[in-house]
Amino acid sequence: MKRTAQVLLLVLTGLGLLHTALFTDLYLRYVKEGLRPLLIVSGVLLLLLGLTHAALDRGSGDEEGHDHDHGHDHSTAPRIAWLLFLPALSLLFYAPPALGAYTAAHAGSETVKEQKRFAALPATSPLPMTLTDFTTRVQQDKELAIRGRSVEMTGFVTPGRTGGGWDLTRIIFTCCAADAQTVKVHMYGTPAPPANTWLAVTGTWHTQGALGTRTAAAALDVHGTRRIAQPVNAFTDDLPLTPS
Amino acid sequence: MQKTDELLDVAEMVAPPAVHPPERRRRTLRRPPPAKAVVIALGLAAAVLVLSGTPWLNGPAVAAWRTVCLAITVQALPFLLLGTALSGAINAFVPADLFTKVLPKRAALAVPVAGIAGVVLPGCECASVPVANSLIRRGVTPAAAFAFLLSAPAINPIVLTATAVAFPGSPAMVLARLLASLATAAAMGWLWLWLGREEWLRPVVRHTGHRSGHSRFTEFRLGFQHDFLHAGGFLVLGAMAAATFNVTVPRSVLDTFSGSPWLSVLFLAALAVVLAVCSEADAFVAASLTGFSPTARLAFMVVGPMVDLKLIALQAGTFGRAFAVRFSTATTVVAVAASVLIGGALL
Repeated sequence: MKRTAQVLLLVLTGLGLLHTALFTDLYLRYVKEGLRPLLIVSGVLLLLLGLTHAALDRGSGDEEGHDHDHGHDHSTAPRIAWLLFLPALSLLFYAPPALGAYTAAHAGSETVKEQKRFAALPATSPLPMTLTDFTTRVQQDKELAIRGRSVEMTGFVTPGRTGGGWDLTRIIFTCCAADAQTVKVHMYGTPAPPANTWLAVTGTWHTQGALGTRTAAAALDVHGTRRIAQPVNAFTDDLPLTPS
Repeated sequence: MQKTDELLDVAEMVAPPAVHPPERRRRTLRRPPPAKAVVIALGLAAAVLVLSGTPWLNGPAVAAWRTVCLAITVQALPFLLLGTALSGAINAFVPADLFTKVLPKRAALAVPVAGIAGVVLPGCECASVPVANSLIRRGVTPAAAFAFLLSAPAINPIVLTATAVAFPGSPAMVLARLLASLATAAAMGWLWLWLGREEWLRPVVRHTGHRSGHSRFTEFRLGFQHDFLHAGGFLVLGAMAAATFNVTVPRSVLDTFSGSPWLSVLFLAALAVVLAVCSEADAFVAASLTGFSPTARLAFMVVGPMVDLKLIALQAGTFGRAFAVRFSTATTVVAVAASVLIGGALL
């Protein structure tokens, strides 16, 4: 790989990282929020590396390449480095979309963590809840506090596989999109909206199985839905935004 | 077991392009006219833009693949930069005899010391490959460098804290992970002393350290840049392979194997290899695999930071293909054995 190409590659990768993490929020499609400072530092570092290489090593590369055939030649980079152009250009010009219904439909629903003690539910109605909290309450709360309560949850639409019903879904990152985990709550009572639509849904627990045990279905009888904008950081399981 | 075998077969089919025969490297020394690189880069950019209009690249499966592939790359880039910067700094600034002075003279003793020294390198597994390579270049015995390579991503404080957070109320899991990872790293170091052969390592022309008459900073900068570009290419290759499995393997396969205690250990070990989850996140993934026994989940966390598709690609690029294949296979076997023994005793 030539010096010009190396400069181009370093600068493009640096700009790609800065574009995704500093100038836009695109990085949230791929990694967790906490990685932002590291991505910005890396972007700046790569940019500086590329520019320094362009400014300081003018000409020297061509000479060194010939007389050091046994030495470690820094003026060339191996061909494999060409592959780095793919993520660099992809970040700059052609950012892949956020994970959505396709990934959710192929993921099994993750089992929720065990929780022994549950605080009393606030009296607000409808009660804003996360999909994870709702599932935990329905399947593990021995007090059955969720019975008859109207709850509000947000997520995007994943069409049901068998045609019947649909799932309100959240995809959660721990570190990056490679470790994405899916939480789904099944929705009854309304026809499925288009896949990937973001909704706030109110409703009550759909009676199926024994409440407070593992047999209880994570499902909701829908009373009302409202379209919402996709949250900036979509890959968490946050509480529904308070209605404005 | 059928399915696991298939996975491994495909893994091997995906992995080989990772490897560049040494002759290729030499050819890169021949200089094409300078305009050529720019033309190729512009051609690549044009190809990306043209393809972006086609429906094929925007189908949901391909889009998910691109997202996961880019996510693995973006997530690993800062840590790869850290690793290659450290490696460049070791080469340019650290006196040649420092490591040989600090480490015990006897290689058999240097192995566990280097393994425990892995605690000091915070970050993902991508950082440890270039650092281990620079240690070998500076005269550290390969066995000790490999113990460091294996232990660093698994036992550093960040990863252990993440494990404690992911498994609240079971400190035994953190201890088991620490012990099993250390045991595997030390065992692999000793195994290399016993059976390892230098000719498996790519006989690479390597850094000579600081040469008088050259600016240390320039040496650092050029070494850093070269190592980053080299490892970065292999990282992209490994991310592509891992993304392929991530998108194509349905999670429902998991349930098939959770019933049998022995198969589940092997299955989760294989899953760790193909999913290539970063070592800081793998504890959370392991915690979510609730259908599996604690020992199987331990195996997932011990194998993951030591062997996975992107690491195999990185190692093949750094140390050579002959080494990467043997080393990864042996490490998987040792790591599974260590997980079963230590998991059986502690969990």
